[in-house]
Amino acid sequence: MDLPNYLLLGFQVAFQPQNLFYCFTGVIIGTLVGVLPGMGPVAAMSLLLPATFHISPVGAMIMLAGIYYGAQYGGSTTSILVNIPGEASSVMTCLDGYQMARQGRAGPALGIAAFGSFIAGTIGILGLVLIAPPLVNFALRFGPPEYFSLMVLGLTVLTFLTSASMVRALMMATFGLILGTIGLDTISGLARFSFNIPELLDGVGLVPVVMGLFGISEVLLNIETKIKREIFTTKVKGLLPSKKDWAQSIGAIFRGTFIGFFLGILPGGGAVISSFASYAIEKRVSKHPEEFGKGAIEGVAAPEAANNSAAQTAFIPLLTLGIPSNVVMALLLGALIIHGLTPGPLLLSQHPELFWGVVASMYVGNAMLLALNLPLIGIWVQLLRVPYTILFPLIVLFCLIGAYSINNSSFDVAIMLIFGIIGYLMKKLSLEAAPLVLAFVLGPMMETALRQSLIKSKGSFSIFFTRPISAICILVALALMVLPLLPWFRRRRPGISLDQEDVT
Amino acid sequence: MKKTFLINDLVWMGLAFLVCWGGLKLGFGSFSQPQAGFMPFLTGMVLGLLALGDLISGLISRWGAEKSDPEIWVNIQWGKLLLTVAVLFLYTALFTIVGFLIATIFLLFYLYRVMEPKPWRFVVFASILTTVLFYLGFKVGLESQLPRGLLGFYF
Repeated sequence: MDLPNYLLLGFQVAFQPQNLFYCFTGVIIGTLVGVLPGMGPVAAMSLLLPATFHISPVGAMIMLAGIYYGAQYGGSTTSILVNIPGEASSVMTCLDGYQMARQGRAGPALGIAAFGSFIAGTIGILGLVLIAPPLVNFALRFGPPEYFSLMVLGLTVLTFLTSASMVRALMMATFGLILGTIGLDTISGLARFSFNIPELLDGVGLVPVVMGLFGISEVLLNIETKIKREIFTTKVKGLLPSKKDWAQSIGAIFRGTFIGFFLGILPGGGAVISSFASYAIEKRVSKHPEEFGKGAIEGVAAPEAANNSAAQTAFIPLLTLGIPSNVVMALLLGALIIHGLTPGPLLLSQHPELFWGVVASMYVGNAMLLALNLPLIGIWVQLLRVPYTILFPLIVLFCLIGAYSINNSSFDVAIMLIFGIIGYLMKKLSLEAAPLVLAFVLGPMMETALRQSLIKSKGSFSIFFTRPISAICILVALALMVLPLLPWFRRRRPGISLDQEDVT
Repeated sequence: MKKTFLINDLVWMGLAFLVCWGGLKLGFGSFSQPQAGFMPFLTGMVLGLLALGDLISGLISRWGAEKSDPEIWVNIQWGKLLLTVAVLFLYTALFTIVGFLIATIFLLFYLYRVMEPKPWRFVVFASILTTVLFYLGFKVGLESQLPRGLLGFYF
């Protein structure tokens, strides 16, 4: 079958009534969790993962993917209206979106965010369609050394881009790798760090860890301090951007799309990093950088386009190589495995209906989001009026039930609470959770690839440098580790300058 | 607060030592025949070295610098925080025994009042309503196996 036929197959799958329903449910839940601060797509997907056990793998993936990219849309609403990013990837949208809202231009800000997201999402999907099949053929040449090196590169990129302190981010990644070793050794069958607890023989579950680190820790942080949320009371009107708005934004949308496209593909990249990078670049290329942070529409268009584009292209490494590029993709990897599918190069040939069905559903989902989000903006605004004192018990309950439902085990709930405390302490100490989770997921795969490579090379590490793909990945990773040590680079490192200049 | 970051690195170094020790106990093997303890030992070593590096760079930058680190442990309502954690663990321990409905209603009594005191009438109503809605959504709608506990005979 060639590309048009595959796409046709994808749309046939996506337009099946039950899949349309799952897509709709996913994007609505995604928008909802994007709007509500304190609960992101990671927690929502973890929570709904057990619920997908009853449905087909295609339906499950369509719904879970919908939550992810739906949250990118929803996150902009809270950023613009109340200056609270509903989702981490919407942090940059706050800077100019909220200023626009204060100037009575909430409508155009929301409008350009939605249209920019749609344009970027569409281009991202086209990229996925065009890049994924050739990449699959390329990936078939990958052996254990290439997989190991690529995963090292992914973790290094994530630690390089997301944290002010790369050493601390690497520490978290290493801690994640250690957590990944808990349970039975896949090669020898020996129990590791299980302390005679039967539940630990299968290792620590991904969902309890993620819900603890991202959900419970957030609740604990909010309990210690009182939240005063400013409620947006002005009526939102004029959602369609003017010609002038379009003229100012269109370049930013395409630049944001381009940045998101490539940072999304990159292992370790993703929507959050893309939105930060696109805002910084937009500010740099702008003729009037002084207007950024004071209500520049490009400051809304670029990060929104970038995070949506990245949300689509992040599927490329997962679906072609079986390597998740970020925490959300790690959850989707878990979902695929639970449904008995092996993510990787063979997924495309063995389950074309899943691959192309999910891709086509993203386009359908993007159209749904555009059609639904703007008319429903009033409802999302109403949701923002729900006080956090009402909201947080619901978040806690969602997490408790979600963690329990995976294995019907209160042990998983206890694990979630422990990781909630760890996550709370990590946030207090400015330690990042994302490298930990990604390394935790990649850990067992990395270990197997490393041990297989060393057995193959009779203990020589040169195997990682003599094979071209592996050597390139390792050398880039090493360069990224060395760069922050250089004094001139320390002053220019994107993570540092963004944190200090813009976010705070 | 300089002490907090010092303790943090020391804790990571301690953990790294334990992991390395555990890895050696499991069996490191050799580079050509890595055993079960190979990866734990290597990752433990890397963690220890990174924590040591962070400790040294922290000592150099923090102790030499005039400015102090941000205070991260001030204005924390410790009582509320620790009580919430304790209540959540208690819920985890008891909800399989007493059942989802009863345990969740009592948990919500606490959670609805912990952030700011609200009238008891509201707390009772909201707790029962939330529990019932979650029960219907998850147990009936999504067929989750929520524990029945003491009310198992009825539900």
